[in-house]
Amino acid sequence: MGERGSCGACPSRAGSMHILGMVISFCVFLLGGLLILRGAASKLIRLFPLFYSYIIYDFCGSLGMYLIYWRDPHLYPSAYWIYYLVSILVEFAVLVEISDQIFRIFPAIRNLGRALTIVISVALGLVYILPAILGSTHRRQALFDFALRASVTKAIILVVLFYVARHYGSELGRNVAGLMFGFAIYLAINIAINAIGKAFKPALGANILWVMSPLASMLCLLVWTLSLWKLAPIPSVHTIAPGAGRDSEAVALELTRFNSELTKLLHK
Amino acid sequence: MTTLIYAAIAIAFLLLILVLLQKTRSREPDASMPDNRSAPNPGNGHWLDLSERIFNPSDARWLKEELSFPKLAEALIAERKRLAIQWLEALQVSFDEVARTPELTLSDAPEAGSDRSWQTLWLTLRFKFLVNYALFVVRLFGPYHRLVPSFSWIPFSRRSEDRFRRTAMANSRSSD
Repeated sequence: MGERGSCGACPSRAGSMHILGMVISFCVFLLGGLLILRGAASKLIRLFPLFYSYIIYDFCGSLGMYLIYWRDPHLYPSAYWIYYLVSILVEFAVLVEISDQIFRIFPAIRNLGRALTIVISVALGLVYILPAILGSTHRRQALFDFALRASVTKAIILVVLFYVARHYGSELGRNVAGLMFGFAIYLAINIAINAIGKAFKPALGANILWVMSPLASMLCLLVWTLSLWKLAPIPSVHTIAPGAGRDSEAVALELTRFNSELTKLLHK
Repeated sequence: MTTLIYAAIAIAFLLLILVLLQKTRSREPDASMPDNRSAPNPGNGHWLDLSERIFNPSDARWLKEELSFPKLAEALIAERKRLAIQWLEALQVSFDEVARTPELTLSDAPEAGSDRSWQTLWLTLRFKFLVNYALFVVRLFGPYHRLVPSFSWIPFSRRSEDRFRRTAMANSRSSD
């Protein structure tokens, strides 16, 4: 990753890209820290546990990568790829958090988003991601394919979640909307850079990934930091007409009654 | 070529999210919810009596076998089929209203992922499946067919229903 120019002190394009990548990565690291601090101060960590777990993982991972880079640069490339691959999987936690938050106020379908996320992930994992990894002959190709298809899978899940949220009239607050928009920016850039990385020569692909990958993270973190700066109320909670809301126990009983009556009727 | 396709997918995805986000945020609250003032409810005895009548084949049988009016019986079956579809659709709308009911007392700690939430989701999905299957059967074979599976053999469903029923009984006893 990020090879330096061969002419020593003169700043080559690869060298400048390397520095640019490092600067952006450092900004990402700082933004991650800021987001964690704000989350702790505004008590958002308690409301978005999976999301902040991911941010803390990312922050600690970046710190670890810096340490490896400074202490043992030879180990860095393999450590980077392992961290990169694990991160692709850990990012699904953000989707689970988004899916939980969208339906949080609806007791009947509180887990619908999570169920959709799991089902789509497993289905596309089996029919779309796995064949690409198993079918690739080159390791580089397999890595880019895995990253690309995982990003497409996440994008599909996000679109489905948006659609279902609209269907059930779920009002997204500023926090959740920002979470979704930030992640969408990140996924869109990742889809593009992984497709480019796969198509171009390894050195060019690596340089693009070196700069664009942290840039995607930075834009995403910027949107997240702004939208999660303080706790924003969920619009639906404030627009519930008097008598329209119920507790989860009452809703569960109503659902049971609907099910029993329908079953009884259809068995006659 | 593949790169261009993926780049187009990325741009289209971002645009789609932006449009959806804008629409979701700008929509008036409860705009998508249908007006359900007259929708059926399992607690409403009149609606249940009506369903008994719609799905009961004895009227059509009486016309056909005892009074020997087969054409009239066919017309009645066709009318009952229309009513059955309307009744099931109205029931679905009413159920959707319950599914869209927000919880008034939201706790700070997230409840998603709990056993209870999964059981409630199961009840929701089960009903959705059953009512859609029933609509399919009624549209295809008419209102006098019994083709819908019960799912009572699934231990998870039985357990969750029993649990909610027990809670309902306990609640009614305590209110007495």
